[in-house]
Amino acid sequence: MEAEKFENILMQMSKPKVAHLKHQDMLANAITNAKDKSVLSLWWLSVPLYIIAALLMKTCFMPNTTLASNIHELANKGKYSALFIFIVIPILFIVINAATIRKIYFLSGSPKSASFLKEIWVNVFIILASILILIIYLL
Amino acid sequence: MKLPWFKRNGLFFMPISIIGWLILIVGIGYSVYTFIEINNQGHSVSDILINFVFSLIIIGAIYSSIAYFTSRPWPQKK
Repeated sequence: MEAEKFENILMQMSKPKVAHLKHQDMLANAITNAKDKSVLSLWWLSVPLYIIAALLMKTCFMPNTTLASNIHELANKGKYSALFIFIVIPILFIVINAATIRKIYFLSGSPKSASFLKEIWVNVFIILASILILIIYLL
Repeated sequence: MKLPWFKRNGLFFMPISIIGWLILIVGIGYSVYTFIEINNQGHSVSDILINFVFSLIIIGAIYSSIAYFTSRPWPQKK
């Protein structure tokens, strides 16, 4: 009798429903932050990319010069500004974007799907562009 | 001086408050001033454009940095 009553109570009990998960908010905020950061990174990375593009044009139009020689000439004119533009900015944005990708990866439950890549492709592109800038400057 | 001052819209941060609009106007004004300065010193159209676009990118990067840090409300104290 008692067991039957208890069974009835259990049947009537419903699972607690959580309409809104805090974790969802955290993931949504992390994705919005990542997009904001990627816009900022793109603006700052466009500075060294623009200089490299201009120096590439100079290399094409001026005979007996190479991209490396033009970059070193520029670096000799302004040592600290070249160091900031070609070393500090790319390294800073590699670290920031890698940390952002890591945060989204853990918040979304370590997924192995294309949808995750779709969310972070801009950040991956920024990291690759930063590495390219570092390689061009250091070679 | 209540935040946020800007809201991101694609690649740009759009102002949503008076201070945000003031910052944008100062940025545009400085870009025009830079163009006039470069135009006075430049020797050719390409020379002027190459230098002006470089200045424009730097102004845009600084504007985006200000907008990024002021595009969210102050963190609430617990």
